[in-house]
Amino acid sequence: MSFVSWQYALFLPAIVLLYWQLPWRGRIFLLLAASYFFYGMWDARFLALLLTTTVVDYFGALAIAGRRKSAAKVIGIGLLPLGWLLGCLAFYTAQRTVAEGIIFAAAAFPVVYGTVYHLLWRLPAERQRRAFLLLSLGSNLGALGFFKYFNFFTGSLDALFAKVGWNPGWTLLHVILPIGISFYTFQSISYAVDVYRGVAKPSDDFFTFAAFVSFFPQLVSGPIERRNDLLPQLEKPAQFEIANIHLGLRLILTGLFKKVFVADNCALLANYAFDPKTALNGPWALLGVLAFAFQIYGDFSGYTDIARGSARLLGIRLNLNFNFPYFAASPSDFWRRWHMTLSFWFRDYVYIPLGGNRHGGLNTFRNLWITMLLAGLWHGANWTFVLWGGYYAALLTLYHATPGLRRLAEPEKNPRWKIIFGVALMFAFTLVGWAIFRSKNLEQLGGWFAAFGNWHATVGWTKSFYWWLLHVVPLLLLQIASWKSRDEVEFAWFPWPLRGLVYALLFLLVASSVAPDVEFIYFQF
Amino acid sequence: MKRWLTPSFLLMLALLAGSELVVRVFFQRSMSGRFEYGYSPDAGFVENADGTVNLIRAGGRPFFPQTFSRTPPPGTFRVMVIGDSVPRGASVATSYAGQIGEKLRAMGIKAESFDLGIGGNGSARSEIILRKALDYQPGLVILHVDNGDEFEDEREYNRAQAFKSWHPKNWLMKSLFIRRIYEFKTEDIFWKWVPTEVRTLTAVNDNGSKALAGQDPETRRRWDERVRKNTAEGVALARARGAKVLLLTEAREHEDGHGGFYLDDRGLDDLVRPMPGDGVYFLSMKQILQKTDFAPLFSDGTHLRPPGHAFVADAVVEKLLEEKIVAAGK
Repeated sequence: MSFVSWQYALFLPAIVLLYWQLPWRGRIFLLLAASYFFYGMWDARFLALLLTTTVVDYFGALAIAGRRKSAAKVIGIGLLPLGWLLGCLAFYTAQRTVAEGIIFAAAAFPVVYGTVYHLLWRLPAERQRRAFLLLSLGSNLGALGFFKYFNFFTGSLDALFAKVGWNPGWTLLHVILPIGISFYTFQSISYAVDVYRGVAKPSDDFFTFAAFVSFFPQLVSGPIERRNDLLPQLEKPAQFEIANIHLGLRLILTGLFKKVFVADNCALLANYAFDPKTALNGPWALLGVLAFAFQIYGDFSGYTDIARGSARLLGIRLNLNFNFPYFAASPSDFWRRWHMTLSFWFRDYVYIPLGGNRHGGLNTFRNLWITMLLAGLWHGANWTFVLWGGYYAALLTLYHATPGLRRLAEPEKNPRWKIIFGVALMFAFTLVGWAIFRSKNLEQLGGWFAAFGNWHATVGWTKSFYWWLLHVVPLLLLQIASWKSRDEVEFAWFPWPLRGLVYALLFLLVASSVAPDVEFIYFQF
Repeated sequence: MKRWLTPSFLLMLALLAGSELVVRVFFQRSMSGRFEYGYSPDAGFVENADGTVNLIRAGGRPFFPQTFSRTPPPGTFRVMVIGDSVPRGASVATSYAGQIGEKLRAMGIKAESFDLGIGGNGSARSEIILRKALDYQPGLVILHVDNGDEFEDEREYNRAQAFKSWHPKNWLMKSLFIRRIYEFKTEDIFWKWVPTEVRTLTAVNDNGSKALAGQDPETRRRWDERVRKNTAEGVALARARGAKVLLLTEAREHEDGHGGFYLDDRGLDDLVRPMPGDGVYFLSMKQILQKTDFAPLFSDGTHLRPPGHAFVADAVVEKLLEEKIVAAGK
């Protein structure tokens, strides 16, 4: 179910109304049912995968903390994915089927997992903790690797071997990428690692933990929440506060504005400029990437705002994910502002465990490059995403190694013109990054760069540029006005008549731009 | 304790409700028929108290703005041209509809002609316009016959039916104010600012569906049959109301693969040929244009440039004189 759909417009108020009528336990079951329904509207079969990783992480984290569950409970809860798939079989028609192999795997899962679980308990305490952590990491990364990267790696290896005259003939599988898998697996990994590190306690209640993994506002595109941020809010009944409803509605309105008004309208120009059939020239290459910059920003930060707003209506706070990223003055500043929960995830679970900047010099750069290449690959199974990660690693290296550039990133030490220059320079670097990100392959990327050799004016460019301005200027005005509050959508400091006018205007801008069936970009990641 | 309804929220509601009221009171007319998608019986026709009728750019039927009296002035021969974007042209003055009146008047004939063409209108929606147009007593109705817009007719009919329901997806657009803003943005900004190439890319699915449907012989046969039926019904209706009818079949220009072009009537001439009878006449655009170097007259293989419209207008006037529907100097 998309946030921008009539289904969600009915679903969310219904859930919110019901939620505040129920006692705590009822709310957990409602959230769980709502989240599974929300996800199942896309493809209910993949709930079995979500259930499987939830089961593994639930028992794994408890085991890491030294708490053993009975065989009956492990096998009983382990049967849930099979039960779900059998339910799907009963309801599905010929258009959607569940493969026999999957049913077999789900049937074997409780037996195999129950056996492994009890075998691991025989290991010495520290090895056992590590083994359960590896099991949890393996199941999450295994699912992610199989569904997201199997064809990418086999295809790339095939192409590589073909160059040396060997054709292993690996078959590419027709694998559907389950939406949100990159997000919920990362959330589960952070949970297991935090428990292993002793900075978080495991959840003892399966249903609360399942609600944590599948919490519908952030299930398919984040923010990627940590155990200590989200789970405590689910474990205790939230108190109803009208301020949360006001903020939630404001977040949803601004999120819709970013997605429907800014992103979807910029997408028209970006899709044209990056269409393989378009004869690109300099003006359109520039406009195309400018349009994509605001498309992807409006799309993803809009999604996050709606997610945060939806959660707020339920009394739950989700983390900030965007903080004026295009006002960043350096690459490291950009990554502290763009998709913050992912950046902090990579910092805490990849960069720092690799050594971070503790060993200085080349080791820092090595860790930086590994982290950024992986962050690039996380975005999709394509070499352009890896290149995008590498590009940011190179930028980070350049800024670290060049004192002049590094000083630009320190606003408190610079006059205003230098700050503006630093932000403009970083924005230009960001645009090049988006061209890499948006290109389907290296050939198209080469074409984008080559287009800057031809600056002949083209028909329709000027008015298209106006179209872009029409959709970007209101966003920038809103951001400048919100800058003081350090939250992109927090303009509560406006006097109330102005606030009322802004609400009405945002609502109209959204309503005048409603187009059917435009998906969120980050669903594919 | 905070209030449920804050002053800013109430102001937002008041602004939206007030705007809705203003649109319902002052702009109702220009929104008429918008969500009947061309199937409204009278959208775009505005009858004034002084006996005149305005053709307006209504939401559901964006006519070129024109004005005429409810009944033709005494002794004036009134011509109304009904069809799609081809007879509509780029303006009334340069369309063959507008040119016919000009040419007749230049010959000393008291005549007036009106352009009732709407882009994308197929035979069903053209027939609905015809029914209304006959209220204004045209001496001649020119039905521009084409079979290339039946897909749009079907699609818009389905949209009109879907919009009548109280399905939640329609709720937002039930507001006239929001519709007006949406329309303004779509027609006055999106269509005018965003180049055709960009818009075509976004509409690729719709165009694709049309092309796919058009490749199916059974669908084409069904479309042709509907064109035949609706045109025959329109002719009978016009004759019953005393109007003469000229059936003008469309032709398109195609490359012949040898650097030249040929004209294709897509079976329309054969479809319409049996229909003429008392007060019903037939002209083939293919036969008209074949008499000249037709390639420069087309702008895109389907639509005509102003000289193409003028050429067709000459042929129509010639036909009117030949059939003694009008006489020079009268």
